Amino acid sequence: MAKIGVYIYTGDGIAEAVDVEKLIKVATKAGAAVAKSHADLYSPEGVAMVKQDIDAEGLTAISLVGMSPRYEYKTFDFPGVYLDKTGIRELVAWSHRIDPSDEKADSKKEHVQELAEDYVRMAVAKLQKVQMPTPDKLEAPNTRILVIGGGVTGMTAALEAADAGYDVTIIERTAALGGYGMQVRKQIPMGPDYSTLVNPVAPALIEKIKSNSKITVKTETEIARIYGAPGKYRVSLKAAGAKSEWDAPMPLTPEEKLDANGKELSAEDQKKVYAAKNEGRNDYMVEDANGELFGAVILAAGWKPAIPAEGEYPHLAWGNPNVLTNHQFEQLAKAGKLKRPSDGKEIKTVAFVQSPGGLNDDADFPYTSAVTTMVSLKQAKYVREDYPEDGKAYVLYQHMRTPGQYEYFYKGLQDDAGIFLSKGAVTSVKDNGAGGLTVTVEKTLLGDNITLDVDVVVLATGMLPATKDEAVVNLAYRQGPAFRDLDLFGGYCDSNFICFPYETRRTGIYAAGPVRRTMTIEESMEDATGAALKAIQAIKAAEEGHAVHPRTWDFDYPDFYFQRCTQCKRCTEECPFGALDDDEKGTPKPNPTRCRRCGTCMGACPERIIGFKDYNIDVVGSMIKSIEVPDDDEDKLRMVVFACENDAYPALDMAAAKGLGWSPLPRIIPVRCLGSVNVAWIKDAMSSGLDGVLLLGCKFGDDYQCHFIKGSELADRRMANVAETIKSLGMEPERVKLVQIAIDEYDKVPGVIDAFVEEIVGMGPNPFKGF
Amino acid sequence: MGEQQQMQPDLSFIKGVMASGGETVKKCYQCATCSVVCPLSTNDSPFPRKEMLWTQWGLAGRVAGDVDVWLCHQCGDCTKHCPRDARPGDVLAAIRINAIRYYANPKALADVFNSPGGVVGAVIAAAVLVLVVAAIWSQITGNAFPFPLNHEGKVEYHEFLSVIPIDAMVLPIVAWIIYVLYNGVSRFWNDISKGAGLPESFSGTYPKPSIGLLLSKYLGPAVMEILSHSRFQKCGQTAERARGHLLLLWSFIILFAVTNYVFIAEDLFHAALGLISKVTPLPLYHPVKLAANVGGIMLIAGILMVKSMRTQKTQEGVLSSAAPDWVLIWLIFAVGATGIGAEVLRLINIAPIAYPVYTLHLATVIVLFLSLPYGKFGHLIYRTTAYVFQRWADDVKAGKAGFGLEKAVGASH
Repeated sequence: MAKIGVYIYTGDGIAEAVDVEKLIKVATKAGAAVAKSHADLYSPEGVAMVKQDIDAEGLTAISLVGMSPRYEYKTFDFPGVYLDKTGIRELVAWSHRIDPSDEKADSKKEHVQELAEDYVRMAVAKLQKVQMPTPDKLEAPNTRILVIGGGVTGMTAALEAADAGYDVTIIERTAALGGYGMQVRKQIPMGPDYSTLVNPVAPALIEKIKSNSKITVKTETEIARIYGAPGKYRVSLKAAGAKSEWDAPMPLTPEEKLDANGKELSAEDQKKVYAAKNEGRNDYMVEDANGELFGAVILAAGWKPAIPAEGEYPHLAWGNPNVLTNHQFEQLAKAGKLKRPSDGKEIKTVAFVQSPGGLNDDADFPYTSAVTTMVSLKQAKYVREDYPEDGKAYVLYQHMRTPGQYEYFYKGLQDDAGIFLSKGAVTSVKDNGAGGLTVTVEKTLLGDNITLDVDVVVLATGMLPATKDEAVVNLAYRQGPAFRDLDLFGGYCDSNFICFPYETRRTGIYAAGPVRRTMTIEESMEDATGAALKAIQAIKAAEEGHAVHPRTWDFDYPDFYFQRCTQCKRCTEECPFGALDDDEKGTPKPNPTRCRRCGTCMGACPERIIGFKDYNIDVVGSMIKSIEVPDDDEDKLRMVVFACENDAYPALDMAAAKGLGWSPLPRIIPVRCLGSVNVAWIKDAMSSGLDGVLLLGCKFGDDYQCHFIKGSELADRRMANVAETIKSLGMEPERVKLVQIAIDEYDKVPGVIDAFVEEIVGMGPNPFKGF
Repeated sequence: MGEQQQMQPDLSFIKGVMASGGETVKKCYQCATCSVVCPLSTNDSPFPRKEMLWTQWGLAGRVAGDVDVWLCHQCGDCTKHCPRDARPGDVLAAIRINAIRYYANPKALADVFNSPGGVVGAVIAAAVLVLVVAAIWSQITGNAFPFPLNHEGKVEYHEFLSVIPIDAMVLPIVAWIIYVLYNGVSRFWNDISKGAGLPESFSGTYPKPSIGLLLSKYLGPAVMEILSHSRFQKCGQTAERARGHLLLLWSFIILFAVTNYVFIAEDLFHAALGLISKVTPLPLYHPVKLAANVGGIMLIAGILMVKSMRTQKTQEGVLSSAAPDWVLIWLIFAVGATGIGAEVLRLINIAPIAYPVYTLHLATVIVLFLSLPYGKFGHLIYRTTAYVFQRWADDVKAGKAGFGLEKAVGASH
């Protein structure tokens, strides 16, 4: 049984907002062995006071009731003592300010006091249930790093990891290192003078790789399968293009699970189809004893140039030998002075076409971005380099995309007398009968529709990510060999662009370079450095037994009570990170080092057999049940708000700090992710007489902001089912609601809560109140 | 689909503008802030955005046919407000230098008269010419050379070089200047007629005014505007520049008048026709001499004001100055300084310095006027032409002139 200490901070307006003495009594009544207040709790004196109590009273769990858990998170650290924080400063004092001249001030004060008392009860209830997490350390994890792809990105990542002391193996599908970096004439400058192109960086990187004893290079090699988990990957390599018994098995597509009439096949039949599909391949759960061991993987598989199909873009004369893609033009430039392949004529005038849609559509070519804009500018400079006297390059764009420092490059090139830039719609390219092409551009900056006679036209076509058409990583995972939902992102290896670049949906595998988004060689190098660091972190995390980003401090991992598992497979299928494999029967097989500790499996489990030591069905259920529900006061309805601690909870903190307030009726419980919210908690809430449940989570969809990718989306799906259950009980399904909140929407979130409260008040009390 | 313009950028034109003070032209990204803030821009044909764009794209023909280039006084308001530091005011100044060159013949002389080295060389060459003519003249007159004194033992420039050899030297040069300018201005007129969007006749020709009409109806108001500098003074950032320029303009008018008085009285009536006795040197109390001296002082004062304003405005960053600007300023200063210097040295009678200074005065005057069709000084002619053109073209567009209409309009006045 935990011996609990509750410490109430009275500074920052808390003492003025609530009766602290009463809170201490509530804590004691709820079961705290020690309950005290301190006006300067987070000072050395405050820390010393708590320390003294721990030593004198043998406290095992401490609750700091005061600042939001997001502040002062390193001030208290007592080894062996469980530490929890409840932010009544933000959730009570700052968000429920009362104007003393208000005639209802007394009744409002009563509400606020009850709110604070409930938070104290919830804090004690939580500590009564939690256990101290113990790290699950991987014994002797393998620390070698596998780099897939020997281009500039892969080479940079390898060098960075090697410099940090790690052994690296680069596998490269082609016969030589260098990738696209060896196929370019020049690169875009990253420093002054911005108008002069610089020599390619790849040859120097290759030299460095060759002389680095920590780096092994395997060319003409690719992945058959990656088995295992961070810190203990077992990788089966094979000759590029070859078949292998270790090729990762392919799961059935939704279509393959249906019979000829569109009905779902039985489990037995599905197994047969699966076996036929993967004949000659070992089951995904079989480990290749001859495979190489690695701790983490960097995916730098790069891209390939998009080539329009035959007959595509007829108005741009695609198919005419003098209409080239940017890739073909780069090859010409690399080969020497620009000469037309069709007749050997000097290429002195070039039109670079950025956007193929003419007047109908201003989009650039597919799979393009700022990079293709800059490549056009770079290639325009080739024309000027080769023919400084009379070379002319026209860059015809709908979007001039030169972000960040590249703006200097754009400005530098703009100053060149022979480079002409205009926004406009390229409506036709035609053979001009004189060996060249006539380009018609409408809606130009010149105010007219213009025609240009040029030697060649260059189309700014895109960069197709390597993951678009093949799995590349070939994982031997329950969820299949490839990254999931690639079609959401056009085949780009998924990673959260803003918050967590490099992080794929497979822990321990970090993407860098154009495989995750179009980028320049310079950006790829920076990216590679980031991914190398991430790979090292993943190995370290496996060694120390804690999670990787975004819960790096977390030493806990999910426990499964397998005896009660019904093999429903929800957890194995829903885990956003593919952390769970399974056996023949479908019993989940956890891989703790793949797990990010979001709790999505816990939220999914209908048997409630998955949980963490300090975050499980019982812990949160007890917090809900500790809320005091007045059963005869219609003014004192009670709701619970599950707020995602990544975005929604910080938004609430910010709202409170900005002086915004909300209704005192709901009690807020932070959750790791809405994906971890189990339907059991909703039932607990409704059966405890609470009148409504609001879930505040991250945005989902193709521009999702969920830190665990699918959590809020899964919660939304589950709540739809809950609504049915509530309806069957004769209650309004609107009593449970999910709202998406971005971290910067602090100005919106109080309104969301108040609107929900108003809705519930309109419905009246929970009919089961008091039962 | 509208009309399509075949684009053939003239790279040498772009490079020319960039090399003569318009190196920022390519920076322009067409926001049109310049045309909005320009105090001189017109509603019908706002500038200088379009000139920036045309120059970026090397559309030499369009720029040449654009009268608005000459309605710009390089106020610097556009340059001050340009978000991209493309300095439209400076670019238009460079375009004007290039336009003068474009209409000049032979064009190589434009390079001479727009560069400090070229002008110094030209002054030296002119001085040598003056000395050679003076030496020959001394052989004819039997006067001493190079420091002749008159019968009173005093410096008298007539003894060095009388009006006859001066005219023999200057009149062919004047004829050449007029020839080149006539040529250039007529081409200029044709180009701006094409570029101004004037109504075309059925045969595709543009209206053309008679010289008589222009002189009688349009030159007068244009000149009045120039004499008052009313347009220049609308400049926001650099309106102060108009003051020195106005003083300078009036000094030129005064000096032009006294030179003509002397030319008619001395060169024509005395030397050529022998109708009157020698009039020069005029006594200091003579009204013409007084006017000349006042004009000379105004010229020095004016050019110094122009120079200090240009320096100050350059420091403020609202305009920058290229070689042609400084060449013209120093040349005019040299004309004034040597003119005053020659007079003073004559009066205090220091022959060894007076005659060289006088020689330099003649040489700088020759070079200044010779630069009229070639150097920045040409703005005197082209801007005046543009002012006249604008008034006439407005009338044409309003249906009040062109295709013979002017007669009816003229009759109603």
